[in-house]
Amino acid sequence: MNKLFDLRFVIGCFFLIVGVLLLLYGFFSDATEQSVNRWCGSIFLLFGIIMLVLSTRNNANDTSAH
Amino acid sequence: MHLHFIDYGIIALYFIFVVGVGFVLKKKIKTGNDFLMSNRSIPLWITSLAFISANLGAQEVLGMAASGSKYGFYTAHYYWLGAAIAMVFLGVFMMPFYYGSKARSVPEFLKLRYDEKTRTFNALSFAVMTVFSSGISLYALAMLMQTILGWDFNLSVWLAAGIVLIYTFLGGLTSAVYNEVLQFFLIVLGIAPLVFIGLHKAGGWEGIMHNVDNVKLHLWKGMENAAHNPMGVDAFSLVFGLGFVLAFGYWCTDFLVVQRAMISRNLNEAQRTPLIAAFPKIFMPIIVILPGIIILALQKQFPGFELPKNANGATDYNMTLPVMLSQLYPSGILGVGITALIASFMSGMAGNVTAFNTVWTFDIYQTHIKKNASEKHYFYIGKVTTVAGILISIATAYFARQFNNIMDLLQLVFSFVNAPLFATFFLGMFWKRTTGHGAFWGLLSGTSAAALTYGLTVAEGKGGWIANIHTFYSGTSQAFNIAWIAFTICFIVTALISLVTKPKPNEQLVGLVYSLTPKQKDPTRVWYKNPLWLGIIVLLITLIFNIIFF
Repeated sequence: MNKLFDLRFVIGCFFLIVGVLLLLYGFFSDATEQSVNRWCGSIFLLFGIIMLVLSTRNNANDTSAH
Repeated sequence: MHLHFIDYGIIALYFIFVVGVGFVLKKKIKTGNDFLMSNRSIPLWITSLAFISANLGAQEVLGMAASGSKYGFYTAHYYWLGAAIAMVFLGVFMMPFYYGSKARSVPEFLKLRYDEKTRTFNALSFAVMTVFSSGISLYALAMLMQTILGWDFNLSVWLAAGIVLIYTFLGGLTSAVYNEVLQFFLIVLGIAPLVFIGLHKAGGWEGIMHNVDNVKLHLWKGMENAAHNPMGVDAFSLVFGLGFVLAFGYWCTDFLVVQRAMISRNLNEAQRTPLIAAFPKIFMPIIVILPGIIILALQKQFPGFELPKNANGATDYNMTLPVMLSQLYPSGILGVGITALIASFMSGMAGNVTAFNTVWTFDIYQTHIKKNASEKHYFYIGKVTTVAGILISIATAYFARQFNNIMDLLQLVFSFVNAPLFATFFLGMFWKRTTGHGAFWGLLSGTSAAALTYGLTVAEGKGGWIANIHTFYSGTSQAFNIAWIAFTICFIVTALISLVTKPKPNEQLVGLVYSLTPKQKDPTRVWYKNPLWLGIIVLLITLIFNIIFF
């Protein structure tokens, strides 16, 4: 539960899910111009993962509101 | 513009996350202090991003793209001249007084420095402004969704207001601040690909330089005369009106943004909040202004990028970003772009509602209606105020729909109230002789001077309801001139009345006035934790940008 108080975790999850959605849509949709969704999805996914990794590090910049 | 299942999915996901943040934080919020002030416990990176995100409302995102296509690079003055310098001043010079005085709000600082009537004047005008601004945000969101997506006006109003209500009601200020940071990343990451794709399609930087009128690709060229630049302003009113009065008045005294720094964990972080925020702020024109310039280059090369006309038959520049989104984004990323737009509206609304909440509860209710009640009571009042604030916003949105001009009128009145404010704070912090009577009457006469100037001048057919003694080249120029006139009148009246009234004794002004406050000396502090060094770096980068785009 404490993890949910970490804003980096919340933001990481959001962009991870959006990234995966865009990638899946980019690969499986018939529509043209899907390359935009693929590279945007990749960037969002990467950003989400970075945020999640940062949230596992418990340092002085702990984001939970005590 | 037509959305697909994936786009609706992304919008729904965002709604689930913002509401989820409220539910998660609910358990942490136990007192009025937690609810209204986040118990001064928010880390620096969050306060900094929330600081600019509170300002990154729809007016900023849609409005700056619109100004970008109307005025070109000149719009960047709102960032480099109209924000960066004031943010540095707030961080280096003013934050020690706000944070150090332990005031819970900007009006409360006025009470400590001056007196009750000055505080009440500021608190009342601020409360009215925030709650109406929130309503205007809501109205603009619903109108935009109706225009570009065909959504029902009522649905947009109640859905957006309902979501903001849930997360601010449950998690208070912390929830609003957390969501502002999520919104910041969403807006930046959701619109950055638009800039990239647009720039690529327009033929890169070369394509911009080749296809956009050269008059719109400068910052200072033609500023010697209002007739020689697209903004229609001259250098004096730009520098004094926007760069000094309006910028300092907004960034250094508006509780909506200052509140984000006041909830920091310690003074050093409170000081660094606006300074760290200034770094993304000075690069923000890439996200918010550049789309407006890119569309000009695209209009010359491709069909479909023309802006529609509004009800008056004039070009509707506010449609710049929506047109870019519909033309350049395929389904999927389009959902992210639309969510970013919705986020900017909700961020503006939540910021206003939480600031309204704090000021109403502490500066009006606790001061004038019920003093010395229990902590639990003020917590309860904070929650009731949240609901009331949202309901008034909804009413305002419907009112604005009935009377379109009410929006213009409200914004005009806000500008009258805001323009003289910085003179009151500046004199209060740097001249110990300034008195409460001086501040109060200075504010009143500054606001009256603003209204009078508007009544005596005309620009683009507006103003001049008393007489027309001067015609400004543009509405922007009129606004900048009104600002510096109101500031000057407020400054002079405050100073004169202060000289003939009795000042507070020195011992009551320690921590509130510069000359009476012991300077902090911390030689061990590394440069990146030193507000002064950070401020100098911000100003240097800003200067370089001004030279590059001269």
